[in-house]
Amino acid sequence: MELINKLGGVAVFGVVSICLFVVVFTASMCWTAFLRRPFLAKMETLPLEDERAPQPSPDNL
Amino acid sequence: MNASASTSENPLSQPAGRGEKAVETFYYDNRIVRAFAIATVIWGIVGMSVGLLAAVELFFPAANLNFQYITFGRIRPLHTNAVIFAFVGNGMFMGIYFSLQRLCKARMFSDFLSWFNFWGWNAIIVAAAITLPLGFTSSKEYAELEWPIDIAIAVVWIGFTINLLATILKRREKHLYVAIWFYIATALTVAVLHVVNSMEIPAGPWKSYSVYAGVQDALVQWWYGHNAVAFFLTTPYLGMMYYFLPKAANRPVFSYRLSIIHFWALIFIYIWAGPHHLLYTALPDWAQSLGMAFSIMLVAPSWGGMLNGLLTLRGAWDKVRQDPVLKFMVGAVTAYGMATLEGPALAIKTVNSLSHYTDWTIAHVHTGALGWNGLLTFSVLYWLFPRLYDTKLWSVKLANYHFWIALLGMMFYVAPMYVSGITAGMMWKQFTADGFLQYPNFLQTVQQIIPFYRLRAIGGSLYIVGTFLMAYNLWRTARAGKFIPEEKAQAASYRTQLAAHEDRAFSHRWLESKPVLFTALSLVAVLIGGMIEIIPMIVVKENVPTIPSVKPYSALELLGRDIYIREGCVGCHSQMIRPFRSETERYGEYSKAGEFVYDHPFLWGSKRTGPDLHRIGGKYPDAWHYNHLDDPRATSPGSIMPRYPWLLTQELDTAPLAARIKALRTVGVPYPDGYETNALAELNQQAAKIVGNLKNGQIKAAPDREIIAVIAYLQRLGTDIKAAPPAAKVAVNN
Repeated sequence: MELINKLGGVAVFGVVSICLFVVVFTASMCWTAFLRRPFLAKMETLPLEDERAPQPSPDNL
Repeated sequence: MNASASTSENPLSQPAGRGEKAVETFYYDNRIVRAFAIATVIWGIVGMSVGLLAAVELFFPAANLNFQYITFGRIRPLHTNAVIFAFVGNGMFMGIYFSLQRLCKARMFSDFLSWFNFWGWNAIIVAAAITLPLGFTSSKEYAELEWPIDIAIAVVWIGFTINLLATILKRREKHLYVAIWFYIATALTVAVLHVVNSMEIPAGPWKSYSVYAGVQDALVQWWYGHNAVAFFLTTPYLGMMYYFLPKAANRPVFSYRLSIIHFWALIFIYIWAGPHHLLYTALPDWAQSLGMAFSIMLVAPSWGGMLNGLLTLRGAWDKVRQDPVLKFMVGAVTAYGMATLEGPALAIKTVNSLSHYTDWTIAHVHTGALGWNGLLTFSVLYWLFPRLYDTKLWSVKLANYHFWIALLGMMFYVAPMYVSGITAGMMWKQFTADGFLQYPNFLQTVQQIIPFYRLRAIGGSLYIVGTFLMAYNLWRTARAGKFIPEEKAQAASYRTQLAAHEDRAFSHRWLESKPVLFTALSLVAVLIGGMIEIIPMIVVKENVPTIPSVKPYSALELLGRDIYIREGCVGCHSQMIRPFRSETERYGEYSKAGEFVYDHPFLWGSKRTGPDLHRIGGKYPDAWHYNHLDDPRATSPGSIMPRYPWLLTQELDTAPLAARIKALRTVGVPYPDGYETNALAELNQQAAKIVGNLKNGQIKAAPDREIIAVIAYLQRLGTDIKAAPPAAKVAVNN
């Protein structure tokens, strides 16, 4: 307790941390809300675009 | 290697008019992917085999054949470094070099940097495999390598980061897919973690001292240690999951929106969680509470990512039955979910009070390592090899056998470790009805868990057998096919895409097309947590209350401490007595932050295979330590500690003493000016005293042997606060 009393503003670290997280989390939520469906569809299929011909998958297995 | 470099860029590009696509032909570099893939398999077998040897030594200590270079304390860090940085490290580069080129629709920026990355990284691993058994170690977990290798790691990592970012800048795909964000976060954060945690002052070619001491060193180390798990073992593999899982399932990722939230929440929260490795220690409570709170919050983004991975398989679960690649991926993602639920649970202080220092932690990390990293690496290897060699996998059946053997091995490894951990933790805390410790002899708790150590070795053996089967299967696959070193591809130029996307909106979509800004924001997100935790710890003096009677180590004790570090004693013995009655009854007064102000590095440890040693000083006579180190079972029947006969015969090297004192003075240890000139005389005096004590115990020993220094160090441990504070003397003088 003596140590805690000496440490001025201990609580502020926790409060600042949580506030920062809320800001980051809210910002990322807002970003996702602005995204349009065609863009999402494009991004979701991006890894599937680069196949070279002939396709080795999945019959190779 | 550069045969195609001249043709890799823009050989067939056509001028782009408005609305006209300029298609460019280029070549993906598969050679570098294959090199990392082969290194992954080789180092996987090596790292796991060293782990098996270490596991066997835990129930059969004589397995080291009294050979110092393969003693548990020295090969344990070799095992962890080999599986983390060699197996997973090469696996990570394999996945990144394959997927980054395809997601950017561009060859890697520089073939030279790619091969510099490969040979540099693997030379570092070879250096680790040589230096760690020789005892050249900083003792900081997962950062044991000494300063020359630390510098090499930084240089190679910078080369990799430049190659990564420059490839992104020259891409032909406007938007950065989620996997690339995870790769960017990995490159940046690992660089920061490595540089900050490796700040050390050299005291010789293979010896250095951390610039941080005690509590501060512990916080920096576990900020690093935890985030090595986060940003070396997790984020690059999440990137690989987001690329290879949709590829293998031939399904788009379940939710791109969720992946954005997953990324930002994960990289922001992870960096704060390090202090959960130091709960109930001398770390100030505010830092512990922050670490605990953020660790619990971590479950949300982790499970978001895990569900995003599993739900990508919606409608494709029938494939999982037949396809070993998907089997391994489902196993990996499920293990990720289990480990990331368990991790936050272990970070709750009450749970941690039982689990910490026990095999429960070992079970937890191996759920992640064998399950998440191991199985995902295997899945990518099985997926990649047929494509690199333009053929079919040699044996699907053998790959399926591998999956079930690996899963069985994991069960045999993890389940006994849970039982062992909970058993030991509860026995350590058990009191009789009369208020005495139920098991006052630590060995009673050790004997109880030895059967589980045997089972763990069986589990590890099964897992290695599976890896050998995979190596054979991949080798046969390679032999059956024809390697495609340069893979031809075509894509529209970046300029063409820009012209087609003039409707810019302020959203994440916009940010994803700005890699430099994206990188800067990622860096800010990962730095905030570390700064808020570490800077106050260093600048606020009250965080580490000083204790006047705590003094620097004497010359002999200092060399003894360095031998303690060399032998890896910290791998099995903690030096941190937590403020629990069960610990103060067993070990003595709980540890205070001020007792460690001259400990460069800190040696609190994270596992108690043997008892805590912080108050071992003065507990036993010098002769007991001598006999115990020579043969632990002579003084402690049933002990599983290895013998250290070489300490009795090897001459104590006092030549580096002056350099070490100077280095420690540089980092703030208050050795008086000129101390190094008379340190040797003081050392001989203290050694002679210990030799005299040994003589009283019927032991004839030479004063210039290493064991004398180790005894001096052990006898000093935890005794400073028992001495009368010099403050009283000062008061008299005043």
